[in-house]
Amino acid sequence: MSDPAQGTRPGAGPDEAPPPEERVAHRAQPVALVATGVGLPSCRLRLADLAATWGGSTKGELAVCDADEDTLTLAWAAGTAALRAAGLSPREVDGLWWGTSRPPFAEGPSHSFLATALGLPSTCGGLIASGSPSAGMDALFAAWDAVAASHAGLALVVTSDALVPGTGTATEAATGAGAAAFLIASSGRAAGTNPPPAWITTRATLFMPALDRYRADASPATSDAYDPRLFREEVFVPLVSEVGRRLADPSHPGDALSRAASSVTTSGDGQREAAGQRPDTFGCSIADPDGKLAAGIARRLGGDLVSASSRQAIGDTGAASAFLGALGALSRPGELAVISYGGGRASGIKIEISQPVPGSPEAAAVLGAAGESGRQVTSYTGLLRARGQLDATGDPVAMGVPPGSAAFVRGNEEMLALQGARCRECGTISTPPSVHPTCTGCGGSALETVALGRSGVVETFVVNHTMPSPFQAPLPLVVVDLDGGGRLMLQGSSHDAGALAIGDRVHLVLRRYALERGVAVYGYKALRDGSGMPPGATLAASGASGTA
Amino acid sequence: MAWNRVAVVGAGLVKFGELFEQSYEQMAAGAFSAAVAHVDKGIEPRQVDAVVVATQRGSLWGQEGIGGNTVPSAIGLSGVACTRVENACPSGSDAFRVGAMMVASGVHDVVLVIGVEKMRDKSAQEGLLARAASGHPIYNRGETAPVLFAPFATRHMHEFGTTPEMLAAVAVKNHHNGCLDPYAHFRNEVTVEQVLESPPVCHPLRLLDCCPQTDGAAAIIITAADHATRFTDKPVFVAGFGVATDHPALHEKSTFVGLPATTEAAKRAYGMSGIGPSDIDMAEVHDCFTITEILDIEDLGFVEKGKGGQATIDGTTSLEGRLPVNTSGGLLAKGHPIGATGVAQLVECTWQLREEAGERQVEIRHGNALQHNVGGRGSGVSVVNILTRNR
Repeated sequence: MSDPAQGTRPGAGPDEAPPPEERVAHRAQPVALVATGVGLPSCRLRLADLAATWGGSTKGELAVCDADEDTLTLAWAAGTAALRAAGLSPREVDGLWWGTSRPPFAEGPSHSFLATALGLPSTCGGLIASGSPSAGMDALFAAWDAVAASHAGLALVVTSDALVPGTGTATEAATGAGAAAFLIASSGRAAGTNPPPAWITTRATLFMPALDRYRADASPATSDAYDPRLFREEVFVPLVSEVGRRLADPSHPGDALSRAASSVTTSGDGQREAAGQRPDTFGCSIADPDGKLAAGIARRLGGDLVSASSRQAIGDTGAASAFLGALGALSRPGELAVISYGGGRASGIKIEISQPVPGSPEAAAVLGAAGESGRQVTSYTGLLRARGQLDATGDPVAMGVPPGSAAFVRGNEEMLALQGARCRECGTISTPPSVHPTCTGCGGSALETVALGRSGVVETFVVNHTMPSPFQAPLPLVVVDLDGGGRLMLQGSSHDAGALAIGDRVHLVLRRYALERGVAVYGYKALRDGSGMPPGATLAASGASGTA
Repeated sequence: MAWNRVAVVGAGLVKFGELFEQSYEQMAAGAFSAAVAHVDKGIEPRQVDAVVVATQRGSLWGQEGIGGNTVPSAIGLSGVACTRVENACPSGSDAFRVGAMMVASGVHDVVLVIGVEKMRDKSAQEGLLARAASGHPIYNRGETAPVLFAPFATRHMHEFGTTPEMLAAVAVKNHHNGCLDPYAHFRNEVTVEQVLESPPVCHPLRLLDCCPQTDGAAAIIITAADHATRFTDKPVFVAGFGVATDHPALHEKSTFVGLPATTEAAKRAYGMSGIGPSDIDMAEVHDCFTITEILDIEDLGFVEKGKGGQATIDGTTSLEGRLPVNTSGGLLAKGHPIGATGVAQLVECTWQLREEAGERQVEIRHGNALQHNVGGRGSGVSVVNILTRNR
């Protein structure tokens, strides 16, 4: 495939802009989609359990977070999986664009925490888009702009949500959790040795000022304040349908740039249809908060609704929804419209796929298994407790070391980035560096900071049945000999408590250790390989091993 | 030849337990009175010219102000020199070592070594180590006290076939000894079945594998060996001691079937005293958990590495065994008021060597006793003191 950017005209001046109604969709300078990844939470809630309390549908499941998971840990899992699928070091990434309705800190270091945990350089750019489930697509648009403007060559876009819905709301029965990552690159960056497997070519946006789901500033939970019929007929279906139509129809009058670019993208290899023609395969991944509306929209667009199975298996994942729904379809050549919706805004992209996108087959396997047995089923009360909606009476006991203290400033980066201090003399890796100015092996002081492996073998362990709050017993603590050297003692997963053994292989995943007065504290935990944890967690963690 | 420059002339303690009715200061005064009363030729309290006080967890348990002036004021010796020693679980035994060196240096004539710890005033949850993360704010989270030793049990079982029954045998033995010690926190027998059926605390350790949190105080009066007979006809001499450190964190351990700090401290104490493990008549060792005693008796050279569990089941360390261990009931039954623990162990060793231990008196053939502590976050420090009645 020749360079799709060549000959495009992304910089049409303001004077030449088409009238607003014709700017719903337009072709920008395409970006390559080089890899994807998925992150799913470890628990499932049976809707029957929810219905036992509130009534409603008894069929289906939602993917939901354990107490130590949130939007950041899911985003980490997805981003790590995408980097691994691409075979790229996180150090090569120029920026992190993270779209999540609600980052862990309403204001604060959410972006730097995630970027550090992903191993990205501290000079990398990017942003957090938030505020509604359209944040995922907002983040991708922003990353695309940065790549097109040559501010970034390789951009990691992560979309994630783990919203806390109001108890007893209709939203609660629809709200799942998950994350999807797209690694995108400029044509120059993507050229390398392999042609890019897919191009993101077209975007479209349409909004109206309608109130549906929202969360007021002081409220911990998301509320819904809308009439489902009104939402369906006047807001969601019209907006999403129009965006989809503009993406699907390359002959749309407002889409002149798209046609021009399409002719470029297909001129090189002669294997694709002539410019302007519809491919044989046209898929639609559509965010579907209600779970019932996307099928009809896709049908009218003439496409297959590829997001139906993931929506059914894990629920509405907000900012990640349309991206999660698309992952499976990225294994098949063809065109794919990805349309998100949130806060009165529909927006979407068209992806032209020529070969399977790395990470997509693995993601499809994870999503395909999402509704099957093997992961932890939580009770409704367990879920409420994990979400902080059901607390023990009385003040919680504080953790002991305030998250804003100097100890955290010293220790956070080496924890999130998982660093050790390697002795230049004897090779011993001492962890963590901040408490080891000298080598634990030989006492030498010539040390260099290194990234530690994210998998290893259990040297010994315990299962602690007397964990102080906020930790929940029984919880393993595991001494892990890391692949590539170094040793750590980390918390494990209560799901592993009954099965852990010396010699087991484990992988490290980022988890939220505590939420203290609203402040999230993150660190790694050691999970047993293939031990009833969701495949997503396993994939995500093994993905990190390449960074050692 | 043994060092023997310093002698114990009086040793006493308060009954260990949940002493809600006694303050830190009252416990200290009680232990000092007991030690003074034990000096058989008599001593005036004002003859004490320096105090070394061991309190380990003052701040964690709410006594933020514990310092060098706390104890002299409480025991009627305000004005006397006083220094606090904190060295984790061996605080008491290290205070004794420091006091012995103060006497041996000739600077002080009569030194009171006193260990005091108030642990029950705060709930167990508030006192758990997990809240006091050290070194790094996130690593080692959830590391309650049993976590510091349970990984050794897991590995010891894996490598040597040590069983839960072998661990239980330690608890059974030490509870039996505790029944014979009027100063013990717990004075009830337990069976192997009770241990194995007790609630899991930190797998593979169960409730009865763990020592309690205990209030207590213990005191020892030492003087130059050459002056000891002014105070007693039965002086017990400090034959030698050793201190050693190890990396504190569990993930830094070179082994999970032994505690190198203990091995090294014992080597130094044996070397200083010229007394070897086969010359020891009885030992008070650090049994904060059942597995710890098994590690201790191996690391101290009493039994072969890996055989500690079987030796316990075989009775090697019982009151009638080849080398009785923890005749006082140990930390498991007598209790573990941290700063007081080492001092109280030395009290027991003194009483045993003077053959004053009543129903739990063991046969003294060589005239030597060994006292041992190991602790810190991850057994990072160990102290071994060896006492002898031979000069």
